[in-house]
Amino acid sequence: MTTEVTSYAAADQKAVAPCPAGGLRRLARVGLGLVLPLVLALGWEAAARTGVITTHLMPPPSTVAAHIVQLFATGEIWDHLVATLTRMALGFGFGVAAGTVLGALVGYLPVAHRLLDPSVQALRNIPSIAWVPLFILWLGIFETSKITLIAVGVFFPVYMSLAQGFASVDRKLVEVGRVWRLSAFDMIRRILLPATLPTYVIGLRGGLGLGWMFVVAAELMGASEGLGYLMMDGQMTGRPAAILASLVLFAILGKLSDFLLVTATRPMVAWQDGFRR
Amino acid sequence: MSLLTLDRASKRFGNRHALADVSLSVASGEIVALVGASGSGKSTLLRLLAGLEAPTSGRALFHDAEIDGPRPEIGVIFQEPRLLPWLSVADNVGFGLAHLNAVERERRVNRALDRVGLAAYAKTLPRELSGGMAQRVSIARALVGQPEVLLLDEPFSALDAFTRTDLQDHLLDLWREDRPTLVLVTHDLDEALVLADRVVLLAGPPGRIFAERPVALARPRERTSAAFQEEKRQLLSTLHAARSGRIYEPEVLEVP
Repeated sequence: MTTEVTSYAAADQKAVAPCPAGGLRRLARVGLGLVLPLVLALGWEAAARTGVITTHLMPPPSTVAAHIVQLFATGEIWDHLVATLTRMALGFGFGVAAGTVLGALVGYLPVAHRLLDPSVQALRNIPSIAWVPLFILWLGIFETSKITLIAVGVFFPVYMSLAQGFASVDRKLVEVGRVWRLSAFDMIRRILLPATLPTYVIGLRGGLGLGWMFVVAAELMGASEGLGYLMMDGQMTGRPAAILASLVLFAILGKLSDFLLVTATRPMVAWQDGFRR
Repeated sequence: MSLLTLDRASKRFGNRHALADVSLSVASGEIVALVGASGSGKSTLLRLLAGLEAPTSGRALFHDAEIDGPRPEIGVIFQEPRLLPWLSVADNVGFGLAHLNAVERERRVNRALDRVGLAAYAKTLPRELSGGMAQRVSIARALVGQPEVLLLDEPFSALDAFTRTDLQDHLLDLWREDRPTLVLVTHDLDEALVLADRVVLLAGPPGRIFAERPVALARPRERTSAAFQEEKRQLLSTLHAARSGRIYEPEVLEVP
C-alpha cells in the first residue's frame, strides 16, 4: 500500500513540471484566433484605399477606429455604455434568478415538471421580438420593458440547463445523497447543482449571448441612450461608421462578458474529467 | 438478539418479482456474505436493509424497528466508489458530517483517511485516483460515521485480483478495530469464504434463500490453505446439492 502511494506522488510531480516553452506556446495559441479578423480588416482597408469599395457606405476599419476613439475622447460614449450595461446587468440578473429557481424546481420535482414544463416550452417558441409590443403596452417604453425583454431572453437557456441538467445527473450519486439522508434543499445544493454546474455554465453563457441580442432589440425599439440607440442614430443620420463602431463595441463587450463569466466559473467546473481540460 | 432482520420480505418492481418471502437475521458483529448469480435478488435484499427500497410485503427491521429509510447507523458501500467528482477526497469522506463543526469534522476525516492509508491524498480530486484507491475512499466515507452496520454491494468486483485481495484483507483489518456488522453481496466464493462467518446462498428470480452455511475456518484465513480449499469444495457441493434437488434450474447459479 505504501509503495502505491509513493509511486503515485512521483507521477503527479512529473505531470505538473512546467514546460519551458509553455508561455510562448500559449501566446501562439491565443494569437491564432486573431489571424482571421486581422486578415479581414487589412483586406477591407486595402480594398477601401484602392477604391474597390465605396467608403461612404462601407467605411474602412481605420475610419471606424477613428470614430470609436472620438467617442471616447469626447466622453460622449460613457452615458451610452452605462445605459446599455445597466440594462444588461439588471436583465441578466433577473433572468438568471428566475431561470435558476424555476429550472431547479422543474428539474427536481416531477410534479413541477409535468405542471410547468409544457407551458414554459410553449412560451420558449415565441420569437422574442414578438413580446415587444406587449411589453411596451404593459410596462411602458422606458427601462422596465427593456429589462424585462432581456430577462426573458436570458431566462430560457438558464431554465433549460437546470430543468434538463438535473434529470441527467447520475442516479448513483443521488443515491449517495439518499444514504446520507439529505433534505430536498441539500440534495439540490450539495449534489444536483454541483453535478449540473458544467451544463449550468453553458446555460449562463447562452443566456448572456441572448441577453446581448435582446439589449440591442430593446434599444432599437426606442431609446434615448445606449449603444443600440447610437446605431439607430447612425442609420438616421446616414453615418455607417457610427453603426459599425457600435457593432464593434457590442462585439467587444459580448466577448469580454463571456470571458469574465468563463473565468469566474472555471474554478467551479475544474473537477471535470473531460476530453479537453 | 438479532440486529438486522428480514421477515418474509418480498419485493416487486412492477411485473418483476425480485425477492420472494425472504427471511434472514443477522447478529451484531457478524459478517454475512450473500452469494448468488445476477437475478438472485441479493442486491435487492441489501437495498431493503439499507432502507433504499421498501419491501412490497413483509418487513425489514433494525433493532426490531422498521427500516423506513436510510439511517445513520447503517453505512453503505456500493460496487462503484460513487465519489462526488467535484469534491476533494477529504470533502467526500466528510460529506455526511455537515452537522459537525469544522474542527471535529476534520479530525474524523483525517482519522478515517489514516485508517484506509490515504492521508496523503486528502486534497486530491477523485479523477486522479486509481480504482482501488477510490474504493478505499468510499470505505472511509462509510466508516467515518461509525456505523453499527456496513452493507457492501459487490464492493470489490470491479477491481483487479491483486487489489481485490488487498482490500479484502484491509476490510478485515478495519473490522477488527470496532467490529461492525457486515453484510456483503458477492458472486465470488473465495471472497465470501475469506470474509464471512456465514454464507447465505440465493437463487432466482424471484430471489430466495436456498441454503446457508457457517464458515468453520479460524481467522486469519489463508486462501491457499487446505482447510480453505476444503471449505470451498463443501460450499460448492452445497450448491450442487441444491441444484440436483431441482429446486432451481441448474444454470441459475454461476459457480466461478
